[in-house]
Amino acid sequence: MSYLTHASRAEAFNLDHERTSWHDETLWFVRQKRDKAVYAVPEFQELRNLASAIKDHTLSRLDEYLAQFEAAAQTNGVRVHWAADAAEHNAIVLDIIRARGATRVVKSKSMLTEECHLNPYLIKEGIEVIDTDLGERIIQMRDEPPSHIVLPAIHLKKEDVGATFFKHLGTAEGLTDPQQLTEAARQHLRAKFLAGEVALTGVNFAIAETGSVVVCTNEGNADLGVSLAPVHVASMGIEKLIPRLSDLGVFTRLLARSATGQPVTTYTSHYTKPMPGREMHIIIVDNERTQQLGRPDFRASLKCIRCGACMNTCPVYRRSGGHSYDFTVPGPIGSILSPNIDLKKHSTLPFASTLCGSCTDVCPVKIDIHVQLYKWRQIVSEANHLPTAKKIGLKFMGRLLASPTAFKLSGSFGRRALRLLPYGLTHNQTVNAWAIARELPEPPQQSFREWFAQQPQPAT
Amino acid sequence: MSTARDRILAAARANKPAETPLPTVPDFWGDNSLERFRTVLASIGGEVTRLASLDDLEATVHELWPDAKLIASPLFTPTLRIDQHTPTDVLADVDLAVLPVEFGVAENGAVWLPEANMLHRALPTVTQHLAFVLDQRQLVATMHQAYARLPDGPGGYGMFVAGPSKTADIEQSLVIGAHGARSLVVLVY
Repeated sequence: MSYLTHASRAEAFNLDHERTSWHDETLWFVRQKRDKAVYAVPEFQELRNLASAIKDHTLSRLDEYLAQFEAAAQTNGVRVHWAADAAEHNAIVLDIIRARGATRVVKSKSMLTEECHLNPYLIKEGIEVIDTDLGERIIQMRDEPPSHIVLPAIHLKKEDVGATFFKHLGTAEGLTDPQQLTEAARQHLRAKFLAGEVALTGVNFAIAETGSVVVCTNEGNADLGVSLAPVHVASMGIEKLIPRLSDLGVFTRLLARSATGQPVTTYTSHYTKPMPGREMHIIIVDNERTQQLGRPDFRASLKCIRCGACMNTCPVYRRSGGHSYDFTVPGPIGSILSPNIDLKKHSTLPFASTLCGSCTDVCPVKIDIHVQLYKWRQIVSEANHLPTAKKIGLKFMGRLLASPTAFKLSGSFGRRALRLLPYGLTHNQTVNAWAIARELPEPPQQSFREWFAQQPQPAT
Repeated sequence: MSTARDRILAAARANKPAETPLPTVPDFWGDNSLERFRTVLASIGGEVTRLASLDDLEATVHELWPDAKLIASPLFTPTLRIDQHTPTDVLADVDLAVLPVEFGVAENGAVWLPEANMLHRALPTVTQHLAFVLDQRQLVATMHQAYARLPDGPGGYGMFVAGPSKTADIEQSLVIGAHGARSLVVLVY
């Protein structure tokens, strides 16, 4: 089976130049807001080191912290479930809903449930699932996946949202004012919150010592859903754990500043016990995470706190859009998580990078993202998933660069050829993919090696 | 057959790296002034209003929110009584909730609201407008000191709230009043 490459999907995104530029600039603006917030905290780099060390430590004792968390949560009256994969997770959620005889579910943002494709599963079983985060509700109406983990509808313009709400919410045709569109969504979703029977949430942090789960939102949709519905189901990957409540001091200072440049999210909510007469469930999900834990080169990817800073800063993500990655988590972090799930399907993602390292620079938990991208490339190549042209090209370049004679000859040939051959041939986009959006440099008269040989030798 | 729990824990045990130490987090101190708190809260859409004394609370609330009909609060005789058994359709009509908070965080404008202060868990997010009442001596500088104030844990349910509900999901345009409170005022005494 063959898959579309990242490059081909990015090409489709780039057909609309204006929108591509807007996307690029908007995300760069978010990156700048991040910088402003970060520079205002003198100890920010120290916080990154601490966050990284806390996560490293947690992974190094993950089994113990998971057991501690489970015991604490059970003491709190929470029902803890374990799911090895997406299918098990989805079946557990459905069982909980069915046991209550419920059909109306309100859901706040959870990348894990996206990863498990929970919504289509529940809808097929006759359950109404309403995404309550505004951006997620918009794309749910449009039947699209999120294109960013923090800003799920960042690929859309207000005209798109207006048209979507005109169709689904009956707002005035041509309405594009964000304030009025948000108000329409507020009214629509209030009714859903008030009628909700089961509330699903993700988890930002799970505290081993208290058995609490922490959910961070700006809209308040997680709290509104959970506090009105009789049943709360929180889904978490095993990597969400942190040992102590006090560790949140570090992570809450990093998360929103890195994500959107806010000093903290509007709501940082700690769910520990259900209200009397109500139910709280936590589903702990593996879904290939323990496999990634066993890969020394890639296990650090499990430290991710899903802030999205690596996407906002990435020159490739900003100009190719989240959908071009065709994975739940797009951007640089998605490109090191996805090959663990399906190496062949996602084989082009580690190449969707200039390896500039900006992702690593902004990561609040100091994941060596660009190094891992480079290492996945080796694995993709060894598994023979490279496209033929790239494979031959890399082999040829490898030989050329390994031989000083061949390098010298080809340099002199190249300079001459660039001068003599017609532009239409040197820039032919079928044979020279490099020239599709680039000019080749003006060839110099001589190489550095030739120039150096002509220089007077320094006295020894 | 082993359970999913056993398999996940066994895989985590088998695949985890060599143990690394859990760092001690230093007590990063900073500015815990009311001025700092006020400036940061204003930057995220909230507002600080001075209260001469707690005795003035009820009068101040009616003065600041003359149009609020259904007001819920544990601090004075409310126009609407809310407790943890209040049904959803009653909660849905609350105009204003006036709730005491335990402390504020100067670096980010957040306040700590434990379950015991909420009347009903849904009240802080279901109310149209929100007012918090804060003793100005109860300000800490950073989130490190904030969590140090919770030695017995966060309780059954508790939240840091920083400003009114907001979203920027439509073209990154900031809109105040997404699903939760449309406005937030911290009344400081």
